[in-house]
Amino acid sequence: MENIETKLREEAKRLLLEKKVDVIIGYEKGTLPLTATPCFVTTPEEADNLVWNHLCTQNPVKFVHDLITQHKNAQKRVKPEDRKKKVIGVVARGCATRSLIIQLQERQYERADVYIIGVPCEGYVDGKALKSAIGGVDITEGSIDGDQIKMKTSDGDKAVALKDVLAASCRTCRFNNPIISDTMVGSPAAAMNPDAEYNEVKEFEGKTVEERWAYYSKEMEKCIRCNACRQACPSCYCPTCFAEQSQPQWVGIGEDKTDTQVFQLMRLYHMVGRCVDCGSCVAVCPMGVDLRKFLKKIDKDGWELFGNRAGSSMDDMPPLGKYDEHHDKEDFVFNP
Amino acid sequence: MARRKFATLKSFLNYIGVEGDRTIFTWVSASEGDRFAQVIKGVTAKVRALGPANKLVKKFG
Repeated sequence: MENIETKLREEAKRLLLEKKVDVIIGYEKGTLPLTATPCFVTTPEEADNLVWNHLCTQNPVKFVHDLITQHKNAQKRVKPEDRKKKVIGVVARGCATRSLIIQLQERQYERADVYIIGVPCEGYVDGKALKSAIGGVDITEGSIDGDQIKMKTSDGDKAVALKDVLAASCRTCRFNNPIISDTMVGSPAAAMNPDAEYNEVKEFEGKTVEERWAYYSKEMEKCIRCNACRQACPSCYCPTCFAEQSQPQWVGIGEDKTDTQVFQLMRLYHMVGRCVDCGSCVAVCPMGVDLRKFLKKIDKDGWELFGNRAGSSMDDMPPLGKYDEHHDKEDFVFNP
Repeated sequence: MARRKFATLKSFLNYIGVEGDRTIFTWVSASEGDRFAQVIKGVTAKVRALGPANKLVKKFG
């Protein structure tokens, strides 16, 4: 990991010096112990702030879309011949490259607008799991030492095995190495355990319809409608979200139980063929809503019904944008 | 593609606990009056068997 970090900084410096990119979106050390936070690097000196470790959580592709949209809007009033091109560099692991592929397939920007610095990934730490593993006490200092996380806490020194607190989406990750990249830093990471990826979904499918509804309503009752999941999601980039539209108003904005259920249902359902299981929504949720249980089902359906894994290849069409008359099932069609 | 959307919507609603039989999708042409009647009969029969829907229903007051 250290080695990758050094190489990443060198690469970032080179790209900025050669003016290949205008900004690099990566991660820097967070203000709280054992955190990393997304950062924007615009000068070669700042490149030394970049880090790459098990604490880099959020999907940076959200910011790629934000920056490009912002730049496009800023150029609207500039004469075509005076328009400047801006290239966004992004430090991307497997799931981030999948998000890039989705945004590219959805024609959000051109491939030349982004420069992808691919990094191998061995999973990130789930902050909530870490907190509960040490009994909810405050961490005052911490470091990752090999496969152990060592911490000083308000309750004395503690150590936790890294593999015990990895995020659920990382443990069963199928694409932990970048799918597309302009340059690769470090050698490919070892495979995770993708065979187990649908175990939770299969178990949930086995329950009765009332049990499933009870779980859904229980989870959604935790939701406070802060929209953090939407803000963190690289596939949620609509200029006006359905949740805020008023003509028509699709869903109420209050804390009503049903409104929350409908909001979540609609946001989740918009992820068909688009959720890459990066886990950003789960990581940012302040209430710990189990969103992954439902998103993974959408991923499973995409694979089982249409043979598509979101963003797994540049050549694939989005699954909802095509139709295969030989393989698509008919069993959902009602024939009296 | 509408059909793919409905296939996944039906499956997803069923997954979160809204009975799969409530999501009904089919094609009817404007020239198929008889078939349309059949479809509506079929839909009402299915829904009647399930009873009133009280999930995802907003209650005022």
